[in-house]
Amino acid sequence: MAELGTISLWIALALAAYSTVGSVAGKLRQSPALVESSQSAVYAAGLVLLVATFSLVIAFISRDFEIAYVAAHSDLAMANRFTWVAFYAGNEGSLLYIGTVLAIMSSIAVWRSPEKFKDALPYTTAVLMLTLTFFLAVTAIMANPFDKLPFVPLDGEGINPLLTHFGMFFHPPALMAGLIGITIPFAFAMGSLLAGNTGDEWVDAGRVWGLISWVLLAAGLLLGSWWAYTILGWGGFWFWDPVENAAFMPWLGVTAFIHSIMVQKRRGMFRMWNIVLINVAFGLALYGMFMNRGGSVPSVHSFGSSSLGWIFLTFMAVGVIVPFLIFIWRYPLLKSARNLDSMLSREAAFLVNNMLLLAIAFVTLWGTVYPLLSRLTNDEEITVARPFYDQVNGPLMLALVFLMGVGPLIPWRKAGMASVRKTLLPPIIGGLATVGILAALGLHKEYALIGFGLATFVTTGILLEWYRGTRSRHRSSGENYITAFLNLIMANRPRYGGYIVHLSVVMVTLGIVGTSFFSTQKDIVLSPGESVVVDNYEFVFLGSVETPKGNRTEFTSTVQIFRDGKLLETVRPKRDFYPSFNMAATNAAIRSTPVEDVYIVPSENLPDGSVGFRILINPLIWWMWVAGPVMLVGTVVALWPQRVRAPDPVPSPSRFSSGTRPTVV
Amino acid sequence: MRRSTLIPYTHIAARSIPRAILLLLVVFALFSALTIAQNDTLHAQTPEPNLPERYPPEGSFSESQAQGIDRMIMCPVCPAETIDQAQVEISFQMRQIVRDMLSKGSDRDEILDFFVERYGKDILAAPPKSGANLVAWLMPVGGVIAGLIAVYLILRSMARRGSAPITAQPVTDAGLIPYLQLVDRHLDLNRNAAQLGSKSNPTSSSVYPPGDALGDSPNTEESKHNSEQGEQGR
Repeated sequence: MAELGTISLWIALALAAYSTVGSVAGKLRQSPALVESSQSAVYAAGLVLLVATFSLVIAFISRDFEIAYVAAHSDLAMANRFTWVAFYAGNEGSLLYIGTVLAIMSSIAVWRSPEKFKDALPYTTAVLMLTLTFFLAVTAIMANPFDKLPFVPLDGEGINPLLTHFGMFFHPPALMAGLIGITIPFAFAMGSLLAGNTGDEWVDAGRVWGLISWVLLAAGLLLGSWWAYTILGWGGFWFWDPVENAAFMPWLGVTAFIHSIMVQKRRGMFRMWNIVLINVAFGLALYGMFMNRGGSVPSVHSFGSSSLGWIFLTFMAVGVIVPFLIFIWRYPLLKSARNLDSMLSREAAFLVNNMLLLAIAFVTLWGTVYPLLSRLTNDEEITVARPFYDQVNGPLMLALVFLMGVGPLIPWRKAGMASVRKTLLPPIIGGLATVGILAALGLHKEYALIGFGLATFVTTGILLEWYRGTRSRHRSSGENYITAFLNLIMANRPRYGGYIVHLSVVMVTLGIVGTSFFSTQKDIVLSPGESVVVDNYEFVFLGSVETPKGNRTEFTSTVQIFRDGKLLETVRPKRDFYPSFNMAATNAAIRSTPVEDVYIVPSENLPDGSVGFRILINPLIWWMWVAGPVMLVGTVVALWPQRVRAPDPVPSPSRFSSGTRPTVV
Repeated sequence: MRRSTLIPYTHIAARSIPRAILLLLVVFALFSALTIAQNDTLHAQTPEPNLPERYPPEGSFSESQAQGIDRMIMCPVCPAETIDQAQVEISFQMRQIVRDMLSKGSDRDEILDFFVERYGKDILAAPPKSGANLVAWLMPVGGVIAGLIAVYLILRSMARRGSAPITAQPVTDAGLIPYLQLVDRHLDLNRNAAQLGSKSNPTSSSVYPPGDALGDSPNTEESKHNSEQGEQGR
């Protein structure tokens, strides 16, 4: 298998390099045959990389310990289903995964690229394949997962216990795919620039692939948070760890991009800005991969340390500077098709949204580099961690949520103050009412009040939009409300998909505000039979059982949770100790409800049979995990191809007359 | 309400975004002041001698206050975790010291200073808000303010360029006017000829080229014409 893998890797590298050179040469010499063969090379590279991937999978399943990577990341005791995780447990496998995903995405992007983009496609292909060449070269030369050991060990070292969790099946691959996926919209933008296209030919492909990377990154971030919540055993889900930040920043960049690209799609504006944004996002994605794969900063993600840092850093520098030079070269071509009609318009709101997103990314980057700056200029070691980001990014995120409630309610082009006031009035009343009611109920944390108020504000705005649209559809076509609502969504998928995603962001906001301000945490040592009261709950510790299991010792504690004297549930939180890693993986018992989570995790098992527990009551965090699927649904709706519709029949008078009656409550 | 009524509002609209940005600026500045101040306030406490225990009981101080301090102190041996998170012996001990000191009447700053003295400034999870490290806190605030100003200037310049074509945009071909009126009459729009022709008013949805009509304006009445048109245009 090792030979097959190595050979496939080198063939794929050759194909990618050929395709890079071939597409540019074919374009410059105007040889359609060469261009076409370069495109076929993209598909071929994808197929060959699949062969390499399967070789590694088979090597894992057959526990071929002669392969160093397999020996380092699996052992005989590992269940086969963890092959999927072991595959990307180290740099070598991750790089192979990234290369394979990029090749497959590139194949689909090239194959499905719109006809009107044909002229620029060779350049896009070249950009894609140049990136692939880089990753494959690094894999083949410096981090080949198929490298052999000089001997065959009897057993492998085993998989990192923290990775044997359900969330790990999706979190790393989703994030890596999302990061590398940004290459696709970036390549479309670059292709368009290199070909000297002045228009918006790249916009559709850029938007679709931007959304795909966006949802992959979002899913990866949420799943990572969920993993941290259930397994890291401290009860939180986000720590502004340098690697988390490295994945968060590209997500912010892409979020800005998928908003601002709509302005170009709809209005032919922001042409330069979109190019700049996708360049920034691509640069941040490279930075993310550098942090994750180069592994230079201490973090909970330090799974594979490596010497790849400098190479990634160089590629990152090239990947930021060269596109910037191309941008400057083509700058004169990027004039907006239209001008801004009014400062009170959705276009303007989008620009402010972009600024806020980039500001959060900037703060995050600043926090990441500040320790380095301080060391260089001041010779002082400084840590920048969660308290900094919470305090600085918190207000910015609330401002962003506010804008999320305003932006979609302002029409394109220009809005009248009167109508905007009218549209915004009910959400504002809703938001203020929430603040008032909560304050009257005795809630006095100003941030939390603002957070809940904004959540209501945004939700009211979106629901009213849905209601108005459904009602006017119901009135004009006589459809019943449910059909009318579904048709409303189907008629403008990007917009209504966006609303669904916005609702999921509100849900995430609820989770963050709930846990940041209202969580109760208690650390306590309990002997068997003892109990403790936390908030409205009573916890009775019955005892702990120690079970040796192959590579680990499992400590399973049994705890009863009571509320108002009634037994709610008997839970069994676990703590597994892995002697070979000198590491403990905890598995918290979580009783989750929409109102609050009861979270209990054993943090230490003392020799006398007593156990140190951490108990948390985390309000509203349930909403955060439910937001994931909602976000996914929204993105799918937004991405669902909109068929070109035959023009509607001439609207009957009634259709318009409904518009002249006041529809705003 | 029809589009015609919007025109007089243009100048108001143009002024309102700067105001909104100004408001955002003020709100942001307030927020920053609030948070930065908030973290420095100390809770009142009654110092009471307390025997050190592994997990001392609450009472002499609030546990959430202790946890707040835990979250400000990095664990010296684990990568990028605070002593609140890390489940290793030294962080258990350090948490104990925090509670010990609290029960002996030390305040947050004294406890943090105690750890800084022993481990150096990088034991703190955030840069101190004093001296050269104030830069760490002021830079983001400056960045956001600069960003808002930049957005304002960009929008203003885009809007200035925009003011001329707007008035010139509607019906350039006078010969079309009768037809448009006819269409409008068929659509029951009751618009009079004078309004349409003379004032070069982007009133009627029918004068917009299909590409310009947008399917996703909000469901307000004023945008209704546009959205209907937009779906047709595609």
